[in-house]
Amino acid sequence: MTAPNGNSSNPTRRLKLLMSWEGFLLAVLCLVFAVNASMSHAFFTVANQINLFNLSIEKIIVALIMTFIIINGEIDLSVASVMGLSACTFGWLYHAGVSAGLAIVIVMGVGFVCGAFNGFFITRLGIPSLVVTLSTLIGYRGLARVLVEDRGINQFPEWFDALGQQPLLGPFPLSLIIFFVLFIILGFVLHFSGFGRRVYVIGNNAEAATYSGVDVAEIKMKLFIASSTISALAGLLFAARVGAVRGDVAQGFELDIITIVLLGGVSIFGGSGSLLGTLLSILIVLSLRNGMDLANITGHIQTGLIGLLLILSVLIPNARIYASRFLQAKPS
Amino acid sequence: MISSALEMRDISKNFGAVKALSHFTIALKPGEIHALVGENGAGKSTLIKIMTGVHPPTSGEIIVNNRPITFKNTQDARDLGIVAIYQEPMVFPDLDVIENIFISDKKSGAFVNRRKMRSDAQTLMQRLGLSFDLERDARSLTLAEQQTVEIARALSMDAKVIVMDEPTASLSAHEARQLRNIAKTLKAEGVAVVYISHRLEEVFEIADRVTVLRDGQFISTRDIGDVTTDSLISEMVGREVGEFFARVPSKARDNVRLRVFNLAREGVFESISFDVRAGEILCMAGLIGARRTDVALSIFGIAPATSGEIEVAGKKVNIQTPRQAMKLGIAYVSEDRRKLGLLLPMPIFANASLATLDRYISPWGILKRKAELSMAETFRERLNIRAPSVTTNVSDLSGGNQQKVMLAKWLNMRPGILIFDEPTRGIDVGAKAEVHKIIHDFAAEGGSVLLISSDLPEVLALADRVLVMREGRQMGIFDGDSATQLSIMNYATGQNITREVA
Amino acid sequence: MVRFPIKFAPQNLRIFGLIVVLICVLLFFATQIHNYLNKDLFIRVSTSVAIMALIAIGQTLVILTRNIDLSVGSVVGFSAFFLGGLLTRNPNINPLLVVLAGVGFGSLFGMLNGLLVAYANVPSIIVTLGTMALYRSSLVQFSGAKSISTASLPQWLVSLPQMNVISVGGYDIRVTFVITLVVLLMAHFALTRLRGGRHFYAVGSNPAAARFAGINVNWTVFLAFTLSGALAGLTGFLFLARFGNITVVAGLGFELKSVASAVVGGVNIFGGSGSVIGAFLGAILVDVLDTSLVRWEVISEFWREAVLGALILLSVTADTLLSRKLLAISLKRTKSTQEQMATFQDSLTTRKGP
Repeated sequence: MTAPNGNSSNPTRRLKLLMSWEGFLLAVLCLVFAVNASMSHAFFTVANQINLFNLSIEKIIVALIMTFIIINGEIDLSVASVMGLSACTFGWLYHAGVSAGLAIVIVMGVGFVCGAFNGFFITRLGIPSLVVTLSTLIGYRGLARVLVEDRGINQFPEWFDALGQQPLLGPFPLSLIIFFVLFIILGFVLHFSGFGRRVYVIGNNAEAATYSGVDVAEIKMKLFIASSTISALAGLLFAARVGAVRGDVAQGFELDIITIVLLGGVSIFGGSGSLLGTLLSILIVLSLRNGMDLANITGHIQTGLIGLLLILSVLIPNARIYASRFLQAKPS
Repeated sequence: MISSALEMRDISKNFGAVKALSHFTIALKPGEIHALVGENGAGKSTLIKIMTGVHPPTSGEIIVNNRPITFKNTQDARDLGIVAIYQEPMVFPDLDVIENIFISDKKSGAFVNRRKMRSDAQTLMQRLGLSFDLERDARSLTLAEQQTVEIARALSMDAKVIVMDEPTASLSAHEARQLRNIAKTLKAEGVAVVYISHRLEEVFEIADRVTVLRDGQFISTRDIGDVTTDSLISEMVGREVGEFFARVPSKARDNVRLRVFNLAREGVFESISFDVRAGEILCMAGLIGARRTDVALSIFGIAPATSGEIEVAGKKVNIQTPRQAMKLGIAYVSEDRRKLGLLLPMPIFANASLATLDRYISPWGILKRKAELSMAETFRERLNIRAPSVTTNVSDLSGGNQQKVMLAKWLNMRPGILIFDEPTRGIDVGAKAEVHKIIHDFAAEGGSVLLISSDLPEVLALADRVLVMREGRQMGIFDGDSATQLSIMNYATGQNITREVA
Repeated sequence: MVRFPIKFAPQNLRIFGLIVVLICVLLFFATQIHNYLNKDLFIRVSTSVAIMALIAIGQTLVILTRNIDLSVGSVVGFSAFFLGGLLTRNPNINPLLVVLAGVGFGSLFGMLNGLLVAYANVPSIIVTLGTMALYRSSLVQFSGAKSISTASLPQWLVSLPQMNVISVGGYDIRVTFVITLVVLLMAHFALTRLRGGRHFYAVGSNPAAARFAGINVNWTVFLAFTLSGALAGLTGFLFLARFGNITVVAGLGFELKSVASAVVGGVNIFGGSGSVIGAFLGAILVDVLDTSLVRWEVISEFWREAVLGALILLSVTADTLLSRKLLAISLKRTKSTQEQMATFQDSLTTRKGP
């Protein structure tokens, strides 16, 4: 795992970086690119790449903030349910007569509240995030179903659908632009800001952080609010892209999202990982899916293979550690 | 001729190029308490690990029952009755005492017989001279009680050799006495007890023989009657002792920087009142369990007081969080550097800037990496931190250097009040002297120091004044110049000690 | 001295509390829903709980060791499908063999999980997230986009859900319910009276201490996952019997429900404490709420999930706050005893010099 905020000013460090997980991912990515390109000439076209991103754009946007959460030593299982809730709330509000613009604002507020709710139980009551977000995964999804029941809501304003489906800047739709902007901002925050440093520190040793004056509760609360707010945004983007909402919008997405982040080299125990790793992982997973589509591998098998990839992503480093420990007995 | 319980002949252990242990020989007799002394890094823990099957020796033999044995793992050692008990209690918090004792019992069959287990547990506890509620979950036991449960577990497995690694380091005086009695009981039952302790007075109280280690080498094994404190220390250190216990005249100034009045935390400590002037070193002495750390944590805002007053530079303050304390210029250097003081997998510079991170964040929120690194470099020189560079991970440093990194973190804050909890615990003699000098320099520049220490010679050397605590109460404050080990111990144990300590 | 058979411990307090809550819920709905408390309720709940409780028991075994098994839903679905296919092609197989096949089939999946978690040292949340997807996709592949239909299943299986072991005054006690009860009692016995069962608790309570004490931690964890898979396989059998028509999405979401039942039932998510009885009661409570909400006219049936989520959060919060309070009280008691002992037993300190 790479050291956070690593300083690249000396050559040994650069070498370490290359041999790190990110370097490994880069190699895998090149491999996947090569295989895909050999299968189809259309792979590297702009249209294909954009389409590739578009199909999973909501997931990969949330993966960016999930990176923070897991580095911080927590987990947020409720992200997909917040996506669903936000999409359904939007549909419900719009069809109740609220203007789309206002509905969007309210939905973002709902996202904020969901995150604060999670954060309250985690930071004020000290209940493990796994349990809290497991309950809200069920609870928020339930609220979505209360709003939408078993119907589907479509017929959104044209401009809304257009934003979700048509390109906005050149060939890039709004969602892709949001992804890139978020990547840059969040990457900056995680790797170059004081807040990012604190995220790593808390993930490493929350108690030592407290004893050094870091306000752990505040940072965790902020992260969970950010997670749910961005998930709400992703839900809106989903609604715009698909043009309709149902109670099961984004159901099960959390697993893909967590898989992407863990594959990217973020340790499930917290304290290490990078947004670059997450980006590489995103590229690999998306290209893999595309390549598998090209090879006529069905969606379900793709999911299974991604699951396998997740396991291997921890298995292989473990094997390396065992091998090196075996070769030179180290003092514990 | 009595055969030994355990013999180690010419044991050496290398980790790569590091020679942790060289040509070590020892023969433990059944029914003896055999003390093992040596500085940190002398090789004691490596020895224990080899003895209990954690590591195989690089060369040499282990003899049990007159047969050479190879341990494949700790289970092999356990099967032969060799068990170690460490400071970290290895109990199961969710299970009760009875189950904790018998959980790994392999001889009683597949079914659990509660009644038999309970009566066996009672018998064991009586043998050890203890009585407490066996139905309690181990979580609700004190550290000392958890240790006794471990010892009972070892006994239940017919242990022949029990190694105790610093067993009394975190115990109160009363608990430590109980533990020493248990060691004597074990000895009476024919168990060979290997007793590792930094507290030489304990060694003299209960040990039959004492073995000294230094730099991985076997130095000597002698009967306890043939050694003195000075002879032991000089063997441990390899030179004559005395120099670094010299006192330095007080640099205390007139202005009071910290004043504490009737400070109390319900159920923990009460009626604590003292003041510390600029340039002064106030030592909080007492035995472990006196609750000195709790007083420090209440001043630092981790576990705030429930009543009483705190004044900083003459102004009354209410400290509820560490941040508030730090804003008032109060720094707390923790006694547990691995768990609370440092981020082990992170580099030196990240640790050094942790308490003052805001200083290295630009208005836009960006980290000022260069400033951070140069600050770390400055401290590396100033505190003589031995490391390849400031980007080295703290986990790769020795204990003494880790302590210095922790100090750098707090000194960078330029605190007015430095609370230092057990400054030299677990670091070697050389680093000890360096840390003492840093404290003196800090005071000389006008800083106030509140020093918590269980090391009496250290207290006598550093203190301008000494505050003695016992079991959460303040027993007295007196002048550093006139304090003696005797007078401090008097107050610390609440007794009048009639026999002189040399 | 007569010992009260049940320890006055937080664990049992929890189960007692659960029973009280269950009674309150039943009474509440009795006031709200016409003709609520009757044999139909008993039959309906016992039938559906038979399935949920089984995987809740399996999940408890895993959680006790400080792990989690998110793949149970996929295993249930795959097992149901596998058995359905087996029976469709060989309708004359001995029923007992079918059950054993289900258990064995599920065990294989469990063993793979166990190998990865216990021996390859991969965290269970990662392994079972991965195998959840892997097993589900294998099911899809295996099914060849077909599904099992009731028409192709043998009669004994289709009528199994209606079969009673005994019927007391109209209260039918179904075979499926009895199967689950038997498994429950066996699991409870194993966890409380077998040394190997106690090891589950030790491993979850303090894995390092367990290793140190000579317990084979890897084997215990491996066993927990294998049993969880086995029970999921058995559940697949019951699922097949109950629903008959099996598609590739069978069992989707079961893992969350099983964790929910366990957590509501007082099983500590960090391992080391909890009981299968609690998980069973938790499954009942969840099921009762589910069924009752559907029939309650005041709010729409779509509140089911939201209520479930709230219920889990509520029970964990209550657990956490309660156990903190109890620990504080017990520590205070310890300290005052210590102080008494200290003042009482203080003797002259003798210090021997060199």
